[in-house]
Amino acid sequence: MRKFILLFILLLSISATATASASDSLFTVGNKFYEQKDYPKAIESYNLILLENIESAPLYFNLGNAYFKNGDLGHAVLYYLKAKRLAPDDLAIRHNLEFAQRFSSVQMEGVELNPVTSFLASIVDNYNLTTLAWSSSLLFILFIIALIFRFGLGNNNSPVRIGVVVSLVFLMLVSGLTTFKYRYEYLTQRAVIIAEKPAVYTGASEQSDIELEGAPGLIVEIISGSSGFYNVLFENKRRGWIKKELVAEL
Amino acid sequence: MRRISLLFILLLTFCTFVNVFAEQNPFKISVALDRDTIGIDEQATLQIVVTGDSQNLPAPHIPTFSMFQIESRGRSSNFSYNNGVVETSMTYHYTLIPTRPGTFPIDQISAIYNNKRYKGNKLNLTVLKDASTVSDAISKRAVNATGDKKDYFLEAIVDNKNPYVNEQITLTLKFYIAVQYYGSPELSEPTTTGFWTEIIGNKTPYNQRINNRQYKIIERKYALFPTQIGNLEIGRAMIRATVASKNNSRRGNNLFGSLFGRGEEVSIRSSIVKIKVKPLPKKGRPDNFTGTIGSFRISATANKTQIDANQPVSVTIKISGQGNIKSVAEPKMPELENQFRIYRASTSENLSKAGSKIGGSKIFEEVFIPKRPGDVEIPAIAYNYFDPQAKRYKLIATKPIKLKVTKPEGYIASEEVPYSAPDLKIGSNASGIRYIKEELGDTQPVGQLILLNPIYIVVNAVPLLLFAGMIAVRIRKEKFQGDIGLVRSKTALREAKRRLTKAKSIATTNTAADFYEEISTAVISFIADKINISPHGLTIEKIKILLIENNADDDLVLQIETLLKHSDFARYASSSMTQENINEDLEKAQSIMVAMAEVSFA
Repeated sequence: MRKFILLFILLLSISATATASASDSLFTVGNKFYEQKDYPKAIESYNLILLENIESAPLYFNLGNAYFKNGDLGHAVLYYLKAKRLAPDDLAIRHNLEFAQRFSSVQMEGVELNPVTSFLASIVDNYNLTTLAWSSSLLFILFIIALIFRFGLGNNNSPVRIGVVVSLVFLMLVSGLTTFKYRYEYLTQRAVIIAEKPAVYTGASEQSDIELEGAPGLIVEIISGSSGFYNVLFENKRRGWIKKELVAEL
Repeated sequence: MRRISLLFILLLTFCTFVNVFAEQNPFKISVALDRDTIGIDEQATLQIVVTGDSQNLPAPHIPTFSMFQIESRGRSSNFSYNNGVVETSMTYHYTLIPTRPGTFPIDQISAIYNNKRYKGNKLNLTVLKDASTVSDAISKRAVNATGDKKDYFLEAIVDNKNPYVNEQITLTLKFYIAVQYYGSPELSEPTTTGFWTEIIGNKTPYNQRINNRQYKIIERKYALFPTQIGNLEIGRAMIRATVASKNNSRRGNNLFGSLFGRGEEVSIRSSIVKIKVKPLPKKGRPDNFTGTIGSFRISATANKTQIDANQPVSVTIKISGQGNIKSVAEPKMPELENQFRIYRASTSENLSKAGSKIGGSKIFEEVFIPKRPGDVEIPAIAYNYFDPQAKRYKLIATKPIKLKVTKPEGYIASEEVPYSAPDLKIGSNASGIRYIKEELGDTQPVGQLILLNPIYIVVNAVPLLLFAGMIAVRIRKEKFQGDIGLVRSKTALREAKRRLTKAKSIATTNTAADFYEEISTAVISFIADKINISPHGLTIEKIKILLIENNADDDLVLQIETLLKHSDFARYASSSMTQENINEDLEKAQSIMVAMAEVSFA
């Protein structure tokens, strides 16, 4: 039995190594195509890695660059956003995202979110969900240790009491921010317009009036969906219905 | 307290320091002479201008000059309001009459304000031994064809007969008159077709000796800016004056002649002045040159540097210096469409005369509306002009203005949203993005959420379970501590087993009495602990009743009764007990104990 388990682990690690090396090779091939300015093939190579069901910030970043150079602003913004979600503190990703968004023929100027949301978003902007979640866990463990001292071991001196309160405050703060990040970036469904001059209708059909004309690279929030249309909310709080195939979900 | 005092003193010192700097130059004194060289028989005019933003400007103090007689010629005031700044100036005129030849410094002219002395600039005035500084040409003009000295004549002089287009030349009309005249001479201005003309003004009349004759000179200056290239003419100026007739004039200061003599009306004309205007050099001409000529400087100030996005900030661009201010064109704004909306607010001019030069300032007010929050910069605004003195094109620029654009409170959607952005082209030629990454980096399954990761869940669950366990232990402990009966009940079996183990260790014929003592104690103590009563005084009968009350099996009650009775007997007749009996009784005791553990004692 023990031998069987050992063999299984060995096989598993070999397969993982093989996958990793195959992905690395594809990534290198994609980069070569990019350097040769063959952007469609670079995109193809990078997408093959995604087919293996693995992702990374550099992969999304390079995909964004390849789409950008290939003239596809919508997908470029989409992949930069995906890269930013994994590595929000990467300055190159931030720069390219902001730079690409300038190319959109429609700009959302003067748009301001709810100040509280905006404030919280600015705090968590530099951290990804994993970092926040592990920070919450660490504080949770510290809090539990403090509780064990206080209630499990019945220690009632001042340092322990302070430890309980301080660790609880920090735990609530960080776990609150983690929850916010999760809701803001994962529960809120977002999409990027990928089509040129897509019509945004007042209702979920092509017979409805046109509310406005979108542009590739614009980020929208998906509120609901109905018969091939998404009800979307633009950053400037204008709403409308857009065909599902004209946007790519984040 | 000492710290507070120290802080107060420091603050006071700082405020004083700031005030000193703020009031460093409350006003300015500028000293000018109409000429820097005069003859011993001539006079110079000294002009002192005190300028400041105060209504009560101090009068200048003029020291005693041993080489001059000084006569006051009056004063004039000027008041201007420009861009919210009030400026007052007082101009004092003095005539300097030399007493001996030489070069003399004119300094130490000062004014006292708030117990401080402010000095004016230093000048030198040269007094020649000769009677006058009149040129030969003027001396010749003062004599007519017959060799007689003229009583009056009119001269038109320009400082530069070959200027660049739009470069200032100064025309000076000088009316020389050696005879008495009546009333004010009437001037017909010269025609200046092809020039933009600005009158600089009249100079205080002064005397000059030409060919040993004293002339009074009335002087008028014009600033002329040629507006076209080629040969231009400044037409004749004409003065009509009523002068004393020859007979009257010969009498000199004859009172009656002066009062009652009939004057003679005369017309005096100047000669035509020819000007050859040259074009600006093509070499080095910047593409965005707008035709401004002179000597200028440029500055830009913003009315605020911290504003909300979509709120206007007013930027004042001031071009000042010498030259034709009216021809100063608006500076070209940098390409800032991505960052600002820019609107022209207003333009204003302020002409000034510095000596015989026309200058001033032109102010352009531009409104910048930042589109996005963040740190933005209005870059340097460049301006080209041609400097005729240096004979080359010069580039001046403002300093960049840094703005801190903040997000407005609450949600504000611009009415212009969405608006069309500048036409940027995406594609392979678009540059500006950061280059691709060379390493794939740490990978993870697509869409994997840390919150659903088993390791993450376990890491968070373990401390929670640990805590729950600790709490359970604590509760149990506290419960035990408060209930001795329960403790005894829970530990009864353990205690009984301990005793049986001890009994087993002494299960020999030599220690038979002790063995049976232990067996008896183990059984009785077990029952006493379970019911939480004292084991002392528990008889076999009483035990039997207790077992029956607690629903013990009849067979078990009988076995216990038999064992206890046998033990009592064996303790007193231990010598009759064989090893076999002992072993058998140990086994019985153990099986009884197992059976008793299953009885639920109340």
